[in-house]
Amino acid sequence: MTTSVLGELVRFARRNTLSALGGFVGVVILFVALAAPLLAPRDPLKADFRHMNKPPDAQSLLGTDQVGRDTLSRVIYGARTSLFVAFSAVILGTTVGSLWGVACGYLRGRFDLVSQRIMEILQSFPDLILAMAISMAIGTGLPAVIFAIAITRIPFGGRVIRSVALSVREMPYVEAGRASGASALRVMTFHVLPQCVAPYLVLATTHLGVAIVIEAALGFLGVGVPPPTPTWGNMLADSITALVPPWWLAFFPGLAITVTVLAFNLLGDGIRDTLDPRLSPAFLRMMTGGRRS
Amino acid sequence: MRKYLARRAVYAAVTLLGVSLSVFVILRVLPGDPLVAILGVEGHASMKPADRARIMADLGLSDPLPVQYVRWLADIGAGRLGKSFFRGDTVAALIAHRGPISAEIGVLALIVSWLVGLPVGILSAFKPNSIPDGVARALSVLFIAIPGFWLGMLIVLALLFWFGYKAPIVIVHFWQSPWENLQIVIGPGIVLGLAQGAYIARMARSCLLEVISEDFVRTARAKGLREGLVVLRHALPNALLPVITISGVLLGFVLGGSVAVEQAFGVPGLGRALVIAVIERDIIVVQNLVLLYAVIFVAVNVLVDLSYAWLDPRIRYS
Repeated sequence: MTTSVLGELVRFARRNTLSALGGFVGVVILFVALAAPLLAPRDPLKADFRHMNKPPDAQSLLGTDQVGRDTLSRVIYGARTSLFVAFSAVILGTTVGSLWGVACGYLRGRFDLVSQRIMEILQSFPDLILAMAISMAIGTGLPAVIFAIAITRIPFGGRVIRSVALSVREMPYVEAGRASGASALRVMTFHVLPQCVAPYLVLATTHLGVAIVIEAALGFLGVGVPPPTPTWGNMLADSITALVPPWWLAFFPGLAITVTVLAFNLLGDGIRDTLDPRLSPAFLRMMTGGRRS
Repeated sequence: MRKYLARRAVYAAVTLLGVSLSVFVILRVLPGDPLVAILGVEGHASMKPADRARIMADLGLSDPLPVQYVRWLADIGAGRLGKSFFRGDTVAALIAHRGPISAEIGVLALIVSWLVGLPVGILSAFKPNSIPDGVARALSVLFIAIPGFWLGMLIVLALLFWFGYKAPIVIVHFWQSPWENLQIVIGPGIVLGLAQGAYIARMARSCLLEVISEDFVRTARAKGLREGLVVLRHALPNALLPVITISGVLLGFVLGGSVAVEQAFGVPGLGRALVIAVIERDIIVVQNLVLLYAVIFVAVNVLVDLSYAWLDPRIRYS
């Protein structure tokens, strides 16, 4: 079992060198996020008024901010918040959307028609603006931000998985299941759903980068996870409050966002090419909402 | 064609109605008491019930929700968009004053994205897997990953460092002073345009490569046309349709992204107004601006669909 998984991984890495690199960097960032308390040299919240606005030096590798907090520690802890929000939102949104999509594609009829209109309506809002409105309505805490980003991911899951379910439901084995008297719920769960796993994984990975950017943008605009929690977006927002923003405060958090998004995007491209060659590269990301801020 | 137009118009109308209803549900129904949303929990608790009732009645918030919703739509139909809760100005005045700046940024981004994306995409497709193609693809992957607002921040920082750039405080409209106006919108326009250009280059490349393998392109080559003519005259027009569609989808990114990029450049556009309204919990302003953004997005996508039908007879007659 383990050897075959390892073999698959090696095969994947050989075929998609860049994606494998992206995956590796992604895993490293994930590790940094999980081990933040061990890796961060200082307390990310502790102000130190003797060392304010210090450029990067041996004592604080990435410098300190206006109240003397260590930038490196804050970037490391920021990975925690950013990845937690992005993973939770994408898993929540894509899962709800996919289950909904399975139901739409399998049941069809009026339920599908109405659902499609609802998803169309959700997609009529620019992502960031919808997320802003939702998180404003339900309060600006961590859960509100996760929920708001998750909502914007639902229609993408719904549409892609619906089209998969539409084609799967016509297959003979599904018909056989129906003919042998299985209920709609049973057929959907045991016959249709397993076919949707590959596109689900593709969707989820391609949306991770998007979710990270939305989270950072919300933080940057001051409507995301509230301070003092260090997030990359909040750090960028903090940096421009200064009259002359120190370059290290503006540079490193943004670099963290870019590297993370790049890693997950590359990984997503490779996973898509491997699991779902039917989907043409540029088009899927567009239709499934690779968005920008 | 007329039938297609009618069907598309009905769809758009239904979508817009749904959009307005969801804006209303999100901003008026979800928070429970809108006064809590406006004043915050503490502010709300410190007020006398009579004062609360008076403010609610003033804002027209004490009527049943369906009545409020219908009245909102009727007001929009009559051109009354309500007033900011914290400032004196009406939402309509806000849009008239700040809207043009954001619209210019959007149009500029569109122009830049095509000017940059299309040639790069064509160049890539000319010699796939060559060195220029590799560079172009690497750059597009990079520009898709860089958050626009961060790029904007870095540019502003660099300008501040070397040229003493200051963020524009007052709005200068194009008809007042084109030169000063351009200085305000050019940064955000280019930053947003480059990101969209990366998508367009990707899309143009893959579509062109697909079209180039088709029979009619082989015919064009077989009759001895130069390769440049084959690609530009025969392949390109057929590859453009998906690129146009993408441009419509991308507008959503431009609309959302411009909010953050305007903030990065300190441009006083509509996006900034929306952010301030969200932070101040100015519900009337947020409600109308969010609706405006969605209406623009829907309208442009209808236009994209129409251009598609106009360019591709197969859709028109199906």
